[in-house]
Amino acid sequence: MDRERTPMRWPVEWRDPSALDALKDTVINCLLVERDAALDPVIARAGQEGIRVVRPGAPPAGVTVIEGEWPGVKLSESGTFDHAAAGPTGVPWIDSNGWKVRLTAALNPGTQVWVNAAPRKPRLSAESYATAVADAAAHGGRWIISLDDQLAAGISARTPEALGRWKRLTGAAGYFAGRNEWSHYVPEAVIGIISDFAGRNEFMSHELLNLVTRTNQQYRIIVKSAFSQSSLNGLRAVLYADEDAPDPGLRKQILEFVKAGGMLIAGPKWGGFPGTREPGGDHPRYVLMAYGKGRLAVATPDFEDPYVVANDSMVLISHRYELLRFWNGGAVGSYFTAAPDRKRALVQMLFYAFILGDNRPTVRVAGRYRTARLWTLDQPAPRVLDMEIEEDAVELHLPPVRGYAAAELEV
Amino acid sequence: MLKTTSAVAGACLAGSRLGTAAVAPTARVAVARCSSYGAELLPTLSVMFDQLGGLGRIVKGKTVAIKVNLTGMPSYRVGYLPLGDTHYTSPQVIAATVHLMGKAGARRIRLLESPWSTADPVEEYLLQADWEPRDILSSAPNVEFENTNWLGSGKRYSRLVVPFGGYIFPAYDLNHSYEDCDVFVSLAKMKEHATAGITLSMKNCFGITPATIYGSGAGKDEPSDLPKGGRIFIHTGYRQPPKSAPSEKYPASPRQDGYRVPRVVVDLVAARPIDLAVVEGVKTITGGEGPWIRGVAPASPGVIVAGTNPVTTDAVCMAVMGFDPMADRGKAPFETCDSTLRLAEDVGIGTRDLSRIEIVGTSISEVMFGAAAHGRRKRP
Repeated sequence: MDRERTPMRWPVEWRDPSALDALKDTVINCLLVERDAALDPVIARAGQEGIRVVRPGAPPAGVTVIEGEWPGVKLSESGTFDHAAAGPTGVPWIDSNGWKVRLTAALNPGTQVWVNAAPRKPRLSAESYATAVADAAAHGGRWIISLDDQLAAGISARTPEALGRWKRLTGAAGYFAGRNEWSHYVPEAVIGIISDFAGRNEFMSHELLNLVTRTNQQYRIIVKSAFSQSSLNGLRAVLYADEDAPDPGLRKQILEFVKAGGMLIAGPKWGGFPGTREPGGDHPRYVLMAYGKGRLAVATPDFEDPYVVANDSMVLISHRYELLRFWNGGAVGSYFTAAPDRKRALVQMLFYAFILGDNRPTVRVAGRYRTARLWTLDQPAPRVLDMEIEEDAVELHLPPVRGYAAAELEV
Repeated sequence: MLKTTSAVAGACLAGSRLGTAAVAPTARVAVARCSSYGAELLPTLSVMFDQLGGLGRIVKGKTVAIKVNLTGMPSYRVGYLPLGDTHYTSPQVIAATVHLMGKAGARRIRLLESPWSTADPVEEYLLQADWEPRDILSSAPNVEFENTNWLGSGKRYSRLVVPFGGYIFPAYDLNHSYEDCDVFVSLAKMKEHATAGITLSMKNCFGITPATIYGSGAGKDEPSDLPKGGRIFIHTGYRQPPKSAPSEKYPASPRQDGYRVPRVVVDLVAARPIDLAVVEGVKTITGGEGPWIRGVAPASPGVIVAGTNPVTTDAVCMAVMGFDPMADRGKAPFETCDSTLRLAEDVGIGTRDLSRIEIVGTSISEVMFGAAAHGRRKRP
């Protein structure tokens, strides 16, 4: 897949073609320019410099644009900063576009996903812009670089502060453009979420992805129409999110998966369930049944609250099997992938909030690895990570990091 | 004897001071040096329990409930350190205590905690802390966990009455496990506390309150189905528990956490008496109760304190930490709060006067460490 396009929404105030000089030494190579005759000189010069120009509503072929949120910790109305501190006893709400990027890519194989998320405040920090870049790119998409008015004006006026923020932003974009090989890595997952992700199933299935993401449970998106025998490979559980019963073929394959030791989490409309009720398997919202070597967890009422379903799924499967476990991560998001030959793995981490005090993050990664290196947006080269080896996992002790970091592991 | 509403309706004595320092009971306290959670732990605890008259005397043939301290979310560490080495009761101490109780003939052992804002099984909580719950479950026969932050496996909440009438509430609605046990054990960590000055065997019991009733997400009329949020309204008194639970006795009393938290702790300890208090300070932190307190520092005092009276036990712990157990509000570690020990002593739970407490095993001076020297920390 060609992920090499890095798009930017051209500020309408940048009418002088010399403004294109700001793009020198950056990876920005596609501009979304409004229809405005005053911008024609910009378009002409961009063409001369080999920069693709498209209209905002007409992306290039092979690109799907999704509407996104400005990524980060959602602040209350009283919030005055574009960042927030994570506390010990509360999990702040995170806006992230990662799940949407992944879903769009799963529904549109081969497409490049661009995220349209305009800055939501009159002035944003360099950190916040870098997070916007990383939030989309870590999940295989690209944020359409969009500047707040003050930053756009500051870059035009070449103020050092604005140029510093611009450098940080474009540096983050360059970082991801330079790691195209990571886009070929495949998701490591504990749970597969099966749905058609459309129509009356859209709300539940989309919200489940959104909320499972927040738990840092690693998941695989399984689109019903693209289901194949290999869709369930390596999974511990599947969550059947749809209201309607699966077709007989799908049903059979999922039950085979359960029989072989997997787990199915489903609503009551899934249809008849084989298996025998587990003795002592009391759960306030599920009937638990044994089937072959595996288990069925059948919701007693229909799935109603996706938050409850997402959290229940973590416990039904058990935290024992989670692939990533964080300490002191604060409001952290993650995406765990592996190279096709499985010799390398990649844990991309998004720290959406400041972390209190000197409590440094730790991430436990399930699996056996020999080495780990840490990539961050502010360092050109990776650092060797302090690693504690457990029986079937490694604990990575991270230095203080802000925004984004990626741990690259080798078996 | 545990007093429930059915047993002692109307027995409340409306906040009167039943006891005084002079008549508050005393009990022996065992102190031991234990520098690690390794091989020395089990024999050390075994000797300590023998020094207290033997575990069999307390637990044989009984259902034992053990409240452990797993404060804060399991996703927070002090630096890179395991939670059991800092602010959680160590899993090794839990397993060793359970093992010895099983050996002493306990019929059933329930490990209790009200983990932060969740009704998930405690085992799942432990896994998030990177603990292996099976290590604890297999350390004796008939061991189980129960999350007491909600109704749990019970059919109804148990109303436990505060025999002296209560400082803040006359009675508390709790998970059934605190009533359905013959023996109640507080297995705590030796720490300072930003609100209550210290958190030892008594303060550990603050966590027996279910957040479905005493949490910020509790219902207005009835307990919420699931726990949400912390127990901030016990701290600040900004709201009342659901109408289904006993109301505060004195709604005009100070709405300050330094006033309320120590009193609620004493209410709870009176309502659900502690039969055995074990406070481990093999490894801990100084300066506060968890990583969310700025400036907490890891420490390895290498000490365990145990007793059959929580006030005498906590008094010895305070001395081990370098504090004066006779300290009152205004003096470390109670600069901004009332002394839980003083309040407990006042209602006759136990004495904090070291001159009246028999200490066996290691002397205080041999194991004293400088928690007090680190100074008080403040919440961020």
